[in-house]
Amino acid sequence: MIIIAPYAQKLRTDKENPKNYPYWKELIEQIKEPIIQVGVEGETQLVPDFRKNLPILELRTLLKECRIWISIDSFIQHLGWDEGKKGIVLWGPSDPLIFGHPENINLLKDRSCLVENPFIWWEATEHKNDRFVKPKEVLKYLEE
Amino acid sequence: MSKVLCSVATRGRYFTTLPLVLNAIINQTRPVDKLVIFDDNDEPQDMRSQMIYQYFFQMLDIKGIAWEWLYADKKGQHHIHQRANTMGYEWVWRCDDDAIPEPNVLEMLYYYTEDGVGAVGGSVLTPPYMPDTGSVTGLIDSIDSEPNIQWGIIKEEKHVDHLHCTFLYRAGVCEYNLGLSRVAHREETIFTYGLHQKGYKILAVPNAVTWHMKNPEGGIRSETKQELYEHDEQIFRNILRYRDKTIVVLNCGLGDHIVFSHVLPAIPNAEVFSCYPEVVPGKSIAQAIELFGDIDPWNVYKKMDQWKWKGKLEDAYRKLYL
Repeated sequence: MIIIAPYAQKLRTDKENPKNYPYWKELIEQIKEPIIQVGVEGETQLVPDFRKNLPILELRTLLKECRIWISIDSFIQHLGWDEGKKGIVLWGPSDPLIFGHPENINLLKDRSCLVENPFIWWEATEHKNDRFVKPKEVLKYLEE
Repeated sequence: MSKVLCSVATRGRYFTTLPLVLNAIINQTRPVDKLVIFDDNDEPQDMRSQMIYQYFFQMLDIKGIAWEWLYADKKGQHHIHQRANTMGYEWVWRCDDDAIPEPNVLEMLYYYTEDGVGAVGGSVLTPPYMPDTGSVTGLIDSIDSEPNIQWGIIKEEKHVDHLHCTFLYRAGVCEYNLGLSRVAHREETIFTYGLHQKGYKILAVPNAVTWHMKNPEGGIRSETKQELYEHDEQIFRNILRYRDKTIVVLNCGLGDHIVFSHVLPAIPNAEVFSCYPEVVPGKSIAQAIELFGDIDPWNVYKKMDQWKWKGKLEDAYRKLYL
C-alpha cells in the first residue's frame, strides 16, 4: 500500500499553492498498488480511499503500515522522517536542502526552479507546472 | 572602522530642541557615518524650506556625512528604532530629540565597542536632578530600588544589565519589542536587557555626557494614557518573570513543529508556546502574545530570511534557541 499526500495548505488568496504537484492524476494511473490519499476536507479526491483530517497518531500508524509514501513539501514529509519511514518528496519551488531530509528520496527537477526567497508567504509565488519532475521520474524510484 | 548610523526620532520639536540635537550630532569629534531623522510629527513639514535646517543639511554635505529624513508611521519610537536597527550598519547611536550630546560623546562611546560589547551609554543629565549614582549597580534586579546609572555623572566604566534614553548599540543582534504600545514604555530597557541576555556586555562609561533638556512639549512619548503604560509595564515584568527560561514560540506549521521536536531536548529550561501541543506540548500562542507582546523574535522564518539561510530548518532552530 502506498500513501499519497498530494496537497499543501490552502492559500489565503485561493490561488493554487505553488508547492502542489501538477501531475498526480498521471502518476496515480501508472501505480499498480492500492493507494490511500490523506489530506483535509476540501481537497480534491484523487483515489477511492481518501482519508480526511486524520489525527497525527492515525497518520503515524498508516505511515508505519505503508510500503512507501509520496508527498509534496508538506508536513507529511517531516512526519515520515520522524517515523523513520522513507518516502518520496516531490519538490517544486521550495528547497529540499533547507526543508527536506536526506533520509527521504527528494525529487527536484532543477535548482533553477527554486524561488529566490523561500521564507516569505507562498501567496507571492505563482504555481508553475514546469517546476516539477514528470511522473516517469517518480515511477523509477517507486519501483526500486 | 565599523560604520555608525545615528538615528533621531522626533515629534513636535522642529523649533525647540531638535536643532540643538542636530547641531551637536553634526559636530561630533568622531563623525557619524550616516544620520537618519525619523519624523513622527502628525503634520510633518519639509524642513528644507527652513533656513536653520538648510544650514544643517549643507553642513552635513560639506562634512561628507550621509543623511536621510524619513517620515515615520506614528506607531511609536520602538518601530522607528527597529527600522534603524535593520538598516545594515554595525552600530547604531540612538539619540533623543531633546537630549544634546557633548561633542566627544560618540568618540567616547565608540572607544568601548570591542568584541562582546552590545551597548555603551554615558551620562544623561537633567539638571537640577543629579543623583549620585556612584554606588548604583545597573542590575535589572535593582531597577525598582535605585536610580538609573545614566542619571548621574558616571565616574568609571561599569558593566550593567540595561541602559536607557540614548546609547550606542550593536545593530541587528536583538530586536525591539514591537508588541509594546505606542508609548513604548521601557522599550530601551527591554532592548538593552535583551542584548545582555544574549551574552553581550552592556557598559555605562565616563566622560560621555548628554544633556537631557526634557521638554514637556512634543516628544515621541507625548501620549499620556495610563493604560498604555500599564500594558507595557506588564510586558516588561513578564520578560523578567521568565528570564531564567528559554522561551520557545512555535507560531508556525505542523511540519515545523515536527522538525523542532528534534531540537527541543537540547534546549535548557524551555518554556514552550505551541500551535500544535499534540506534537510539541506547550501553552498557547495567544498566551505568548499576552505575556511578551511581540512574538516576532521567535519567528524562525523571519530569522532564516534575515540570516539568508542556506542550511537545514532543524539547524536554524538550533541557532535560534541554543
